[in-house]
Amino acid sequence: MTAMDLIAKERDRLLQRTARVYGLSFTIVSLVCLAIPGAVDTASFFVCLPLYLLIAFCQYRIGSSRSMLWVIPIIVAGLGIVAVVTLLAPESTGEAGVSAVAQMTAASMASTAVVLTTDLRRRLFLALSFLLTVGLTTSLLLPFQPPTRTIALVVLGWVLATIIGFWISAGVPQAARRIASIGRAHRAERQASETEAQRRQGARLLHDTVLATLTLLAHSGVGVAPDAMRQQAAEDARLLRQLRLGATPTPQSSGVYNLENTNDDMVLGTTLESVKQRFGRMGLEVSWHGTGQVLLPTEVLDAFLLALAECLENVRRHSGVTQAHVTITEDETMVRAMVTDSGVGFTLDDVDSARLGFKESVVARLKEVGGKARLFSAPGSGTTVVLEVPR
Amino acid sequence: MSYAPPEENTLGVILGRGKRREADATRRVIRAATPHRSSLGTGFIGIGAAIVVGLRAIYGLAWFAGQAMAGDVYSELWAAAAAWVVLLAVLGATFVVARIIGHLPDWMFVIFCVGLGAAAALDVYSIWPLHDIGRHATAAITAGMGLLVVITLRRTRDILIAVSALGVGLLAAMIINTPLRPSDFAPQVTSLAFAVLPAIIGVVVIGGFRRLVQVELDRVLVQSTVSAPRFAVGMMASEELARLDLAAEELLDTVATGKVKLPLDPKTASVAASLATELRLHLIEGRRETWLYHAITESDHLGKSVTLNDRSSLAGLLDPQQRDGLLSTAWLLVSDAKKNVSRSVQITVGPATDSLETREGRKITVPIVIETTGVARNRVDPATWEAIRKVGHYSDSTQNSSLRVDIACLVDNPADQ
Repeated sequence: MTAMDLIAKERDRLLQRTARVYGLSFTIVSLVCLAIPGAVDTASFFVCLPLYLLIAFCQYRIGSSRSMLWVIPIIVAGLGIVAVVTLLAPESTGEAGVSAVAQMTAASMASTAVVLTTDLRRRLFLALSFLLTVGLTTSLLLPFQPPTRTIALVVLGWVLATIIGFWISAGVPQAARRIASIGRAHRAERQASETEAQRRQGARLLHDTVLATLTLLAHSGVGVAPDAMRQQAAEDARLLRQLRLGATPTPQSSGVYNLENTNDDMVLGTTLESVKQRFGRMGLEVSWHGTGQVLLPTEVLDAFLLALAECLENVRRHSGVTQAHVTITEDETMVRAMVTDSGVGFTLDDVDSARLGFKESVVARLKEVGGKARLFSAPGSGTTVVLEVPR
Repeated sequence: MSYAPPEENTLGVILGRGKRREADATRRVIRAATPHRSSLGTGFIGIGAAIVVGLRAIYGLAWFAGQAMAGDVYSELWAAAAAWVVLLAVLGATFVVARIIGHLPDWMFVIFCVGLGAAAALDVYSIWPLHDIGRHATAAITAGMGLLVVITLRRTRDILIAVSALGVGLLAAMIINTPLRPSDFAPQVTSLAFAVLPAIIGVVVIGGFRRLVQVELDRVLVQSTVSAPRFAVGMMASEELARLDLAAEELLDTVATGKVKLPLDPKTASVAASLATELRLHLIEGRRETWLYHAITESDHLGKSVTLNDRSSLAGLLDPQQRDGLLSTAWLLVSDAKKNVSRSVQITVGPATDSLETREGRKITVPIVIETTGVARNRVDPATWEAIRKVGHYSDSTQNSSLRVDIACLVDNPADQ
């Protein structure tokens, strides 16, 4: 299924709908003319009526079906109407009857031309129907009006309908080509947008500290010295500004962003220190134990540090103590951090983990890099969180 | 000074699955890409309409010339001739000007309508003494079809109002002027129909064409998800993230510079809280969505009737050809709907089953179930099966008198990548 097939389908649908409205409206007008007293004698009218109903039904069906089966009866029944009106009781056929024939042949039947332009077989059928209609109608109407008049009207009607058919057929692929070029531009835009989002999402450490600061502010900054708070806010604002300016490639702003790491691996020790300092400013003393230097891939490190900071933030806000211990251990496959405090603790069932941000911030991020988190706590006996990431 | 909160809350977008907003984003992309909507193919259709009007005008002129040469039709020949001069001048000038400037401002449309009205009035005036408008009107009838010249440049409503005004005017003139005899009915009905119906049919055609362009645009824009990575953020995400970052930056700045006092007032604190929540959601959730999710939410067309159930985000594993097949399938199942039949499609992806060895390496099977409502088995477009075949081996059945397709989709094992 190519795009062009879909377009062709849409095109056919538009042609069919056009033919339906075109045909039906003129069929009705023709029938109205035929129903005017003095148009034809009563018998002819009632012979024509089922033919009109057949034509209307087929024209309705053309609107939703591509089949030629609905076109052929229209031509046949239409010519039948012409024959009935002109041959059955010619002496009682009046001007209105001739008008009805004109509407039928020059507009209602001609409307089929709209759907007969798309391939060779249909075009041949179109030519055949056209010649048949012009020839038969002109000769049958000879006793009623001069042939030039009939020919002019019928030819005009069929030519107009054919032009409409061809023009729509040509216009749709044209529009489709332009749409396709918009689509290509859009794909480029999607990729650019993706890259930009990844750049911003990739700045995890930055967002980590920003989130921590925002969380502090969400608690009105209570419990933190105002100066330390301002200092932290200024630092975070500065980094966010750099991230923002990174989108415009000006030399002085690129490379200044000191949290983004371009190396594949990064030393855990130095970054742990920055986390410790930040919490120190907020009034939570963090003591490190165990391995000082661990090498981790950047994205694993980011997730690990974010989870760690999130745990420490929970300790700071909920534990009621000002000290936390972080023990880092490692083996061949895993790096493990154990965050413990001797605070109030809680019953796991009582706490809405979403409120702690535990599930989304800690578990989800670690899972993304193949790690996991476990939480142990009981009221009065502190809390322990074990974070694990693969090396 | 207190901190001014961001203009809009993005939280609702994420939590509410953001259909409307992302569809708006698509629309915005379209707007940016095409300053004049008429330039999207309707320009070409406009030329076709003008040609049709031209042919009709030649036919009308010939008719007029015939009547004028007969000598005994017009008592006021100048008026009928003036009607044609005015009509042709208005049609020609409007066509040319609209070609050049690419659209038709309101005031020009008003002038155009007044011109058509004047031509019709002059024509009717010239044949008034004959008391048979239907048989003798020429320019007045062509004027109705003349509206086709501007049909691509104006809204449907404008065209319909103009053509109704002309139709009502002609009808009124006929009723006042022409004696109501059955023998005179037919020409009146015929003339009125030829004056009014072309514009109405034209409106239907253009409406259909514009709809086609909209649907096609929607499809093409969504099609770009086929080449997206396994997890993508979608079109809005980077913009949202940038906006949140900026809001956070401004908030932190006002704190840092001491513009707001610490501890913060509750209002600013709650702004900080909601910013943090939104930012967190954007950073974490943004990556968890697959191309298929984005395709469905970004599309006006699919968004309305397709629901996706893909808990493990397995759709992301499909290769571009399989994605194309799946997207086409959803598209074909939904787009064939008639107006009065409501169709819905539910796509369930996963859970993945055991991996198996193939010639191309280890593969896992991701079962995809497409359940529908209102889609009869025999009403499905044949192209749909071809599209499904691209996704994988399938079996189809009927469930609650609607189509159900089970596809076994072979994909590369993500653990091997």
